[in-house]
Amino acid sequence: MKSITRRDFVAAGAGLAAASAVPGLALAQTGDTFRIGSLCPVTGGGSSYGAGMQKAIELAVTEVNAAGGAGGRKLAVFAEDGQTKPEAAVLAAKKLIEVNKVQAILGTWSSGVTLAVMPLTDAASIIQMNTSGAPAISTQDTKDLVWRFQATNDAIGAAFAAAAEKRGFKTAATMAFNNASGIGNTEGFKKAWTKKGGKVVGSVVYEPNRPSYRTELQQVLAQKPDVIVMGSYLPDSTIILREWYQTGQDVKWILPGWAANPELVKALGNEVVEGVIAVDTVSNENAASYKNLDVQYRKAMGKPISSNVYAAMTYDMAISLALAMEAAGPNATPLQVNAKLREVSNAPGVMVYSFAEGKKLLAQKQKINYQGASSRLDFDQYGDVSPDFGIYVIEKGQLVRRDVISI
Amino acid sequence: MSFTDFVNLLINGTVEGLLIALPALALTLVMGIARFPNAATGDYMTISAFAAVGVQALLPKSIVLAALGAVAAGIAIAVVFHLWVFRALQGRPLVASLVASIGIAFLARSVLTFFVGHDQQGFQLPLVRAWNFDGIRVLPTDLIVAGVAVAAMAALFAILHLTPIGRQMRAVADNPDLGRASGIRVRRVLTVLWAMVGTLCALGGLLFGAKAIVTPEFGWELLIPAFAAMIVGGIGSPVGAVVGGVLLGIAQELSVPFVGPSYKIAVAFGLLLLVLLVRPRGLFGVATAAR
Repeated sequence: MKSITRRDFVAAGAGLAAASAVPGLALAQTGDTFRIGSLCPVTGGGSSYGAGMQKAIELAVTEVNAAGGAGGRKLAVFAEDGQTKPEAAVLAAKKLIEVNKVQAILGTWSSGVTLAVMPLTDAASIIQMNTSGAPAISTQDTKDLVWRFQATNDAIGAAFAAAAEKRGFKTAATMAFNNASGIGNTEGFKKAWTKKGGKVVGSVVYEPNRPSYRTELQQVLAQKPDVIVMGSYLPDSTIILREWYQTGQDVKWILPGWAANPELVKALGNEVVEGVIAVDTVSNENAASYKNLDVQYRKAMGKPISSNVYAAMTYDMAISLALAMEAAGPNATPLQVNAKLREVSNAPGVMVYSFAEGKKLLAQKQKINYQGASSRLDFDQYGDVSPDFGIYVIEKGQLVRRDVISI
Repeated sequence: MSFTDFVNLLINGTVEGLLIALPALALTLVMGIARFPNAATGDYMTISAFAAVGVQALLPKSIVLAALGAVAAGIAIAVVFHLWVFRALQGRPLVASLVASIGIAFLARSVLTFFVGHDQQGFQLPLVRAWNFDGIRVLPTDLIVAGVAVAAMAALFAILHLTPIGRQMRAVADNPDLGRASGIRVRRVLTVLWAMVGTLCALGGLLFGAKAIVTPEFGWELLIPAFAAMIVGGIGSPVGAVVGGVLLGIAQELSVPFVGPSYKIAVAFGLLLLVLLVRPRGLFGVATAAR
């Protein structure tokens, strides 16, 4: 082996010195940007939504920066992929916090991911915004730094129960993906369903990434329920529904909208999914903010915003955050910005539908009430919102909306 | 648990096990002859399955062409990475090739997702209902899965034990230097080996895709079960890989009525521990003394 010469040593030393100087440069940042971490599920179970969610954050940030920034600062986005996996998301969140020094992490989707990332954002005293449903997120949010833009699992479960009641089902079974959200949705359903006098005849919790779910299906189908209620994602729902169809047993299905979407229809064909009931939150479709986002989203992604309710939520995250920054004034810390979030999005106040509108009114010292693209965006004491739900039925391959309900 | 339930669970377990058996065969072949655990095995499956999806997108309805496309892609990627990376690492410690294979796995997946995105895909196959024999449900797809896995195992066994190239492979596995000294063209033997590995991965990817769905991550997720099947069966033994896979699959499914679906995977790995305790070389493994 070649021994190290003095020349090598000097070269290596010079290289090291140069390298150690670089972080110094990187740290010498100008104080006039607010750094946002985007941690959307670009891969994994949420991959049908992740890319759009990330794009919606960028659209909102572009809008805010075009209006001259918020609180005297421009916004900068650092994007990482949460992979819909808690382990991967924790690594990514650490990188965002420690390397990119972000002051807020937006866009965590599955509850498992949000619950895993929360302790990190709490420890760093930065803002966390998610689209997850698990009830534990409300109770574990002790510093009031966590904001939920999606309905809670209990609310989704209650919507499932309302859908089941409307269709006249008597007995139900549940199948849940083994994570906080899957179990949360089916538990929420059981609570609401038994309260309505319905019967739960069977329930299983299944593991992710299996090639087959026949055994699990066999267990619930053996109880002959009228309807099977799922707390599931797209990949596992695809496999389960195909295997159910192959068994030939008659049963109805209620799925969350993030699993029973056009991709599911594409994967299985119209015949298999005919009559499947999907329950999902409904965006704030009549609001100007929604219409404006729809135009921008179509331009960027080639699809309407109605194809991705979560993108509307992440858009609202960035806009409400920017409005809170504007209200908190120049050089506010994340905690000071956090304290203004309810003020700019809850009633009372003049209803505003865009960042520019809100900024103008805030400059005139008016109280504003941001109306989001995803919902009215009124945060309760837990930092949760209550969007409306739509009940859809798949007919000839199309998701047809039958009802809109408020829980 | 009624007899019907029992038989259904047995069928489910066997089919799941056979799905794992093909990547386990590919792993055990590399482990036995090139002497390292190839962590890119799963991603070779993924690439092959996506090749089949791609062929179907261009030439709809052609299942045979899609399968041929998958096999071609599987062979191509396995041979290319052998010539490019693994050949250069021959003779180095096992860990060098192992780490390189992990790198290849990540590279292959990233390049794949760059082009095809992260959405799930599937093959265009006619959907068939299961045959129902008094509650015992048999899926035609499952029979195909079983047939292909058994045929692949038989073919592999025949190649290894009945053909000259197989004999050479076993000789190279035993002692590469002695093999070379006896006039075996080691390079050619290894290229053929990797072509076989590619074919096995492609078949595995096709069957998995036909049964479940095709996502950029599915192969990687299958790696651990495939490793477990290889270890239970005995490293380097093709029969062991298949038997190991089926055994783990059946143990897993039969445990569901007792422990529930959440813990069935733990039961399978408990069985793995048990086998290793009683028979450290695996069921069909040959005891090798450390030199």
